[in-house]
Amino acid sequence: MPAISWPKGGVVSEQGHVVVTGANGWLGRALVARLAAPTDGRSDVRVVAVARDHLEGRALTEFASTFPSANIDIRFADFGQPGEFDQLFSGLVGPIEVVHTAGVIHPRHFSEFERVNADGTRKLAAAARRTGVVRFVHVSSNSPFGVNAITTDRFRQIEPYHPYLEYGRTKMLGELAILDEVERGLYALIVRPPWFYGPFQPARQTTFFSMVKSGRFPVFGAGDQHRSMVFVENLVDGILATRNWTGPAGHGWWVADREPYTVAEIVHTVGRALADEGHDVQPPRLNLPDFVGNVAEKADRFLQKSRRYVQQVHVLGEMNKTIACDISATTRDLGYEPRVDLYEGMRRSIRWCAANGIEL
Amino acid sequence: MSTTDYRCDVLVIGSGAGGAPTAALLAEAGLDVIVAEEGPWVDQGSVVPFSLEQMDRQYRSGGVTVALGLPSVAYTEGRCAGGGTEVNSGLYRRPPQEVVERWRTNWRIDDLDPDAIDVLAREVESALSVQPLPGPAPAPSERLRLGAERLGWTHDESPRWMTYPTGDSRQGQRQSMTRTYLPRAMSAGARLMTDCRVDKLRLGADRVEGADVEFTNGRRATISCRAVIVCAGAIQTPALLQRSGIRRNIGRTLAVHPTVKLAARFTDELNVPDDVPVHQVKEFAPDLSFGGSASHPGLVALALLDQWEDFRDAVVAWREIAVYYAAITSQGRGRVMAVPGLRDPIVTYHLTRRDRALLCSGLTRLALLMLEAGATDVFPSYRGAPRVKSRRDLATIEDTFSATRASVMTVHLCSTVPMGEDSDRCGADSHGRVHGFANLYVNDASLLPDAPGVNPQGSVMAVALRNARHFLAEGWSRV
Amino acid sequence: MRAPSSAVVAPTCEAVLGHDLPGLDEYRRCEVVDFVCRRLSTLPVHMRWGVAVIAFVVDGWRRTTGTNRLIALSNRPLPLLGEYFRLLRSLSIAYVWETWPDTRPDGRAA
Repeated sequence: MPAISWPKGGVVSEQGHVVVTGANGWLGRALVARLAAPTDGRSDVRVVAVARDHLEGRALTEFASTFPSANIDIRFADFGQPGEFDQLFSGLVGPIEVVHTAGVIHPRHFSEFERVNADGTRKLAAAARRTGVVRFVHVSSNSPFGVNAITTDRFRQIEPYHPYLEYGRTKMLGELAILDEVERGLYALIVRPPWFYGPFQPARQTTFFSMVKSGRFPVFGAGDQHRSMVFVENLVDGILATRNWTGPAGHGWWVADREPYTVAEIVHTVGRALADEGHDVQPPRLNLPDFVGNVAEKADRFLQKSRRYVQQVHVLGEMNKTIACDISATTRDLGYEPRVDLYEGMRRSIRWCAANGIEL
Repeated sequence: MSTTDYRCDVLVIGSGAGGAPTAALLAEAGLDVIVAEEGPWVDQGSVVPFSLEQMDRQYRSGGVTVALGLPSVAYTEGRCAGGGTEVNSGLYRRPPQEVVERWRTNWRIDDLDPDAIDVLAREVESALSVQPLPGPAPAPSERLRLGAERLGWTHDESPRWMTYPTGDSRQGQRQSMTRTYLPRAMSAGARLMTDCRVDKLRLGADRVEGADVEFTNGRRATISCRAVIVCAGAIQTPALLQRSGIRRNIGRTLAVHPTVKLAARFTDELNVPDDVPVHQVKEFAPDLSFGGSASHPGLVALALLDQWEDFRDAVVAWREIAVYYAAITSQGRGRVMAVPGLRDPIVTYHLTRRDRALLCSGLTRLALLMLEAGATDVFPSYRGAPRVKSRRDLATIEDTFSATRASVMTVHLCSTVPMGEDSDRCGADSHGRVHGFANLYVNDASLLPDAPGVNPQGSVMAVALRNARHFLAEGWSRV
Repeated sequence: MRAPSSAVVAPTCEAVLGHDLPGLDEYRRCEVVDFVCRRLSTLPVHMRWGVAVIAFVVDGWRRTTGTNRLIALSNRPLPLLGEYFRLLRSLSIAYVWETWPDTRPDGRAA
């Protein structure tokens, strides 16, 4: 079997491992599925899918069984727990690549943000360096960079940190930990996806579809805030495209659909996709004044200061903001081209829900 | 006190970017022109650029003027023959075509053709010898360029109204109004009255008859004329009109480019006290632009002042420090109000929520750019600012910044008598004639309907040429 | 309209300078204070009037509470009062380093 090509620091002729953390998550599953069934017909990768606990492990085992020809090992690591993670790599032969997708966005306990996104990332990256991992791809977020000051603004490839609340702060600490490890010799790169959508979605995304379907998805003002989004398959493309980079470590790239969409456009497109998939869609009717979003943001800030997290308040507070990025550097440096647009991505997403018995 | 009467065809009030080209064209067309300039004539080179002495001699109120608000916005006005063109950086930008088009459509301005404005801009460029540097840019400018290059941000060199007789970039001669349009006007017979403040216009029912003036030495005079063209700048023009009793759509829509600044320390002695950077970063234009400010030691100290306790130790290294700004295109507006009994107008300005967010974003991005350019320490100018030494520190800027804590200032003021046919909003018609008057015109930055997002004096001069020609072709015969 | 009187501005300005730049010698301090007072007299008329009122209030505070309390007041982010102190400090600092660029951070001559 042909081996993966390791452009930097790796061994070309040797079969390697790709360690995927957060493998049971939305992105993790999409990535494992792609690695297990490569689109170019090769299936030469040993995937190490990292589960948090045995519950996740069972789910992942079942998931892995849908790729009978693939070589998927399941290992365990809870990044929210104390301890180091060197054992994750023990016994792996050949060049190791890590894609660190594990993270907490909607925590059960507030402290998980820091324990997982910051401390867990730091410890994993340190273990990867000690192990001699040849390529570490860290999946970050838009949140370390906050929100755009105005609707027409776009985050460029390099931006100052301005973390949005605790998730943003801890994802920023995660990035900084990665950069510290780069200083110590780890070959790490960062990809930054904004809001993503697509197959393997969690329950909250089902709520999103249901709200759009019933016309109750909140639109602030004229819905002219811009949001970058990324179809999860596009995101997987972007992550794998980092293999095209042979430059220095420490770089980060936005991986998103080609252009940001306005919120009104998103709601309209999702409604259209739902209707075209045979759903009965109500016209949008939950139009809220802009200040409601600002009040929700203030409430979210207040709650988070007292170390509490209420998902609905957080999501509402973010909905009247522009979070938009410019992917031109990603295209230039990595050759990344988003293949699926919002309408097509949403249709695939809806079909995936139907195929998996999820009622919208 | 004696009173003297003067007579002329056209009284031009103000000798800056609006007044000087206007006077030159009218005088060259054979009209008898008086130019009344409140400030003195100061020969180029007789004061150190950007010094306190220059502020004393060539700026209004020593450069300490403020638009009140939360925060207040400090602004400066040139007050000398040649106006702001004498004292600013001489950076020139051609009026952007899309801006001219926006003015034309949004403000219903007749005959404002972007291509025709482009032709006029070229005429200005030729008259003022607008050109890039013949050699390397000053080191602070190069750092700005380098930072932008490393970040992949678009940037360019702004040309200036300068000549370089020796071919040395450091020995430029400013081709401001006192070296270009004012000598042309005077060669054609125009009379320039410096130290001459116009107190009030003398108005008839729908005509202006002349103006009452007062010289710095206390002498008063009356100037009678067939037409008046007010070119006193975006603050003094509406103030004069209001003092004279004309208030409709006058002084209500002041537009500026608010700026915030920072000082950046490098490892080498790069400070050039008497010059300014010529590079500007346009990656986020027109909403946001970055450039360099004058950085003589007094101004470096001033940039450190807001957090003096923490930043003061850096002042001894002023030779390694340069000051930079982030400017925004503001959606806020201000007012100019002449209050009876007060010699100076009250100016206010209101920054919108969006403006504040943009100032914060601008300052943070500028700090990032400075780090990329090799700065070891960045000192943002606001109370409570952190000393930024790494990207990690940048996160604290947005946590601690608020516009009310910052030294917000501007040198670009416009739009207080917007031109156009929309009589609900405009103070003057499409060619600067004040609504309701047959022979009273405005021809300066006040006419620009909103802030152009670039250094505005190129736009001011091009529009001034356009309106002056229109006046000669049509207006003069009617007055 | 009257300019703010040097009699009410100068003591405050001297006190602030004494705190911010304790090493500034007396000769220079007098020169700086003169400059500040001169500059305040050229402010636009409404600003001059406003500064005169604030200067009067601040001077009263200084007389009754002493220099330490004046400095404490000067460091509080109060509207209008804060602007007054800021104006004094801006003019002073700009003058000091433009006139004597190698001044030490505490005001001592190099």
